[in-house]
Amino acid sequence: MKTSFGRSFDELPRIFEASRAFYDAESVGEGDRFAVDFAIEEIFTNMVKYQPGSQSPIEVELRREPDRLVVVLTDRDVDRFDLAEAPVPDIEAPLDKRRPGGLGLLLTRRVMTTFDYEYYDEDRRSRVTMTRELT
Amino acid sequence: MLEIERSPEGAVTLAGRFDASQADRARPVFDALTGRVTVDMRELAYISSLGLGVLLQAQKRLKASGGGLRLVNVNRHIYDIFTFSGFHHVFEIERADG
Repeated sequence: MKTSFGRSFDELPRIFEASRAFYDAESVGEGDRFAVDFAIEEIFTNMVKYQPGSQSPIEVELRREPDRLVVVLTDRDVDRFDLAEAPVPDIEAPLDKRRPGGLGLLLTRRVMTTFDYEYYDEDRRSRVTMTRELT
Repeated sequence: MLEIERSPEGAVTLAGRFDASQADRARPVFDALTGRVTVDMRELAYISSLGLGVLLQAQKRLKASGGGLRLVNVNRHIYDIFTFSGFHHVFEIERADG
């Protein structure tokens, strides 16, 4: 599955409709569906939030390899913003010190097996590639 | 799509998918809660970090006045996310499967 989506949170239902069709076709289990949807949403919404200057759609690719799922999100006309270097929140902090920022990226890295960020200066393109070993 | 219902007793029932496209609709509901509130998640299939943020903000506000959220019937995938988030330290959580 490889489809482009507009830069809006309102595109999430369309993204999940496409991912569900892919999971059904590939007989992907519930736990893997949850994890990969979580990762896609987190990276997609970060691209929308932190690259407001781009008008380009965001490309979401999902493919299955023998024992894992591969997810690639590609964003164009953007500045370098390495999500892999985002600050990590303290999940042991007491309630009054807790902040939601950064939690999604922490969880994404927890539920996915690998996480890689690449940036191409020549065409101002960023690409996040994640994999998840199938359970 | 996220469905949100309030019972006459004040409990909240969530069903469907609590993703970023639903957070603006859910936030006013949680902002209006007072006291100690049970949130039934039996039919909630999915929650993202923005959904977690809505719950966390409500919990901070309610705890400051002696109340709080009790999250019940949580499926195992959402329970895992709560655990990875450290939510089990700041919420009372009951799993759907005990």
